[in-house]
Amino acid sequence: MLNIKNLEATIDNKHILKGLNLNIKPGEVHAIMGPNGSGKSTLANVLSGKNGYEIKGDIKYNGESLSELSTEERAQKGVFLAFQYPLEIPGVNTNTFLRTSLNSVRKAQGEKELDTLTFLKLIKEKASELGIDEKFLSRQLNVGFSGGEKKKNEILQMKLLQPKLSILDETDSGLDIDALRIVADGVNSYKNKENAFLIITHYQRLLDYIKPDYVHVLSEGKIIKTGNADLGVQLEKTGYSNIV
Amino acid sequence: MKQNYDFKIDKIKDLSSEEINLRKKNLELFYQTGFPNKKDEDWKFSDLNSILRNNFNKIVNNDFLPSQTEFKIISEFEHNFISLFNGKLISKDFSYEEKNKILIENFNYKNELSLDVKNSLYFLNNALATGGFSLEISKNYKLKKPLVVYNNFSNSLKEKMVNYKNSIVLNENSELNIINYINNSSKENFMVNILENIKIKKDSSLNNFLINNSKCNGYFYKYLKSDLEKNSNFKNYFLSSGLKFNKLDIEINLNEENSNSSIFSALNLMNNEHQEIKTRINHNTPNCHSYQKVKKVLNDESKGVYQGKIFVKKIAQKTDAYQLSKALILDDAAEFDAKPELEIYADDVKCSHGSTSGSIDLNSIHYLKSRGIPEKEAYQMLINGFLCEILEKLSEGKIKNFLKEKLERQINGY
Repeated sequence: MLNIKNLEATIDNKHILKGLNLNIKPGEVHAIMGPNGSGKSTLANVLSGKNGYEIKGDIKYNGESLSELSTEERAQKGVFLAFQYPLEIPGVNTNTFLRTSLNSVRKAQGEKELDTLTFLKLIKEKASELGIDEKFLSRQLNVGFSGGEKKKNEILQMKLLQPKLSILDETDSGLDIDALRIVADGVNSYKNKENAFLIITHYQRLLDYIKPDYVHVLSEGKIIKTGNADLGVQLEKTGYSNIV
Repeated sequence: MKQNYDFKIDKIKDLSSEEINLRKKNLELFYQTGFPNKKDEDWKFSDLNSILRNNFNKIVNNDFLPSQTEFKIISEFEHNFISLFNGKLISKDFSYEEKNKILIENFNYKNELSLDVKNSLYFLNNALATGGFSLEISKNYKLKKPLVVYNNFSNSLKEKMVNYKNSIVLNENSELNIINYINNSSKENFMVNILENIKIKKDSSLNNFLINNSKCNGYFYKYLKSDLEKNSNFKNYFLSSGLKFNKLDIEINLNEENSNSSIFSALNLMNNEHQEIKTRINHNTPNCHSYQKVKKVLNDESKGVYQGKIFVKKIAQKTDAYQLSKALILDDAAEFDAKPELEIYADDVKCSHGSTSGSIDLNSIHYLKSRGIPEKEAYQMLINGFLCEILEKLSEGKIKNFLKEKLERQINGY
């Protein structure tokens, strides 16, 4: 599904990713761990198509060159990024945003757009699965939401848009144990043979709930070690300094 | 330099000789300075003289005869209405209300041509004004439906100037929602100069809306003076995008305790449109509140100006005054000028002011795009969000929906 070959990324003359290789197949869960400044969030930004990066190397998504697609096209084709810091957007109603988003994706995929009533029924259902109070949906997007509420809102968007590749950028940060469990349940219930996950995290914590097939250690812009779920557990005990 | 205007009192019919003299005096005072220019501090960001010079060959006045004209009635909500055509009152309908509670008539110009305001447009209005209306609401009467004032202008006003005065009085414990609705889509350039005097007596409240309905080549100036008595409320919403030029010059006098005033405005300016909101809020007595929030989105070569002054008299303790102006500048050629001012002589007050301007937040755009929303729509959503926030405090209902729909149309450039 995703094939990254020798990816380099530079921003403001800082060389951050220095030849990263990664292959993800449908149905797989990959975790990327690494110390601060290793390039984890840059990888997420680059995959989502954020402006400002100078890119070298090759990123193929289902055989298509990702770099040639705009951010919205990537989303329409099934790439989803759960933001580390979801943005607060004053004046934009959460429901309106969610419906515009879903209908943009549906339209691009050649499906019929949902009318307001059908949409509201769907979103209420999805929100209650994640324990999100309906009244959040009529508030301004992420404005005044707690850290946990923002992250749940990201997972809600994921479940609504049903992407093929979901990238979770430090989704566990700022979550208490209960919220962490709800988020993990949300991810686990969406996991199937067709879709894949790339989970970016500092800590093993989230991986206790979402079991990865592969754990990669990112350091100074490169993947320096790959293992199975046990690698995450080991890192938690020994820290990065023994590996890096 | 050659004058680009030519005004004549004798074009106005049926004046007494006394009135003619007074009007002539006013016209002379206007001619001494002409239209205001940037040397005048109040006009330093909106040099009306050169704006008119660049857009008019010769501006003249005319005594517009009232004539019936067809216009589209708003269908979204039930309302009373007054219809003005080129400033003249031509029809009215208060069928939702009790009889004898509302007095509506042509503005009476006798004794109303005083020389007390030193502003050349004020003199010009005194000299040339005809038409306009006087509205008075009886004590203890709350209108059941809002009042729409249709400001219709004919399509043949090329290079003409329309001057008129309105007066609105809310007697004790009365209530009114008034919607000033500007309706003209003429390509011709014309100018409108309105003086409006509002008196809100004890325990009364007035919600005053201004909406422009279509792109129009009119140059508008309105001087709105209001006086508030004890426990009264005055709320203003200005959504006047689409006019070529507009300056709202607003004076609010909080004369008795516990009176409240607010001004909300959301403007989306395009091409070379130019709009200014100038306010002067006089806290003349203790325990009054005033609130101002003015938001502008500036596209192309448009210009947005906000000059806001809060004046607090020495006796006006426990004043609570707030003022905020925000602008989103979307093009390098667009301009935003703000001059917030506080002049405070009391020592126990809560006053704050702020002004920000910036471009659109690209991280927010990226966030919306990452959810599959196309770039153009993402921008539209953020602009909508920025401006529609102005309507948030308005209670839910048909008027709010109507305003929101109009504002969204203004944002989409009609």
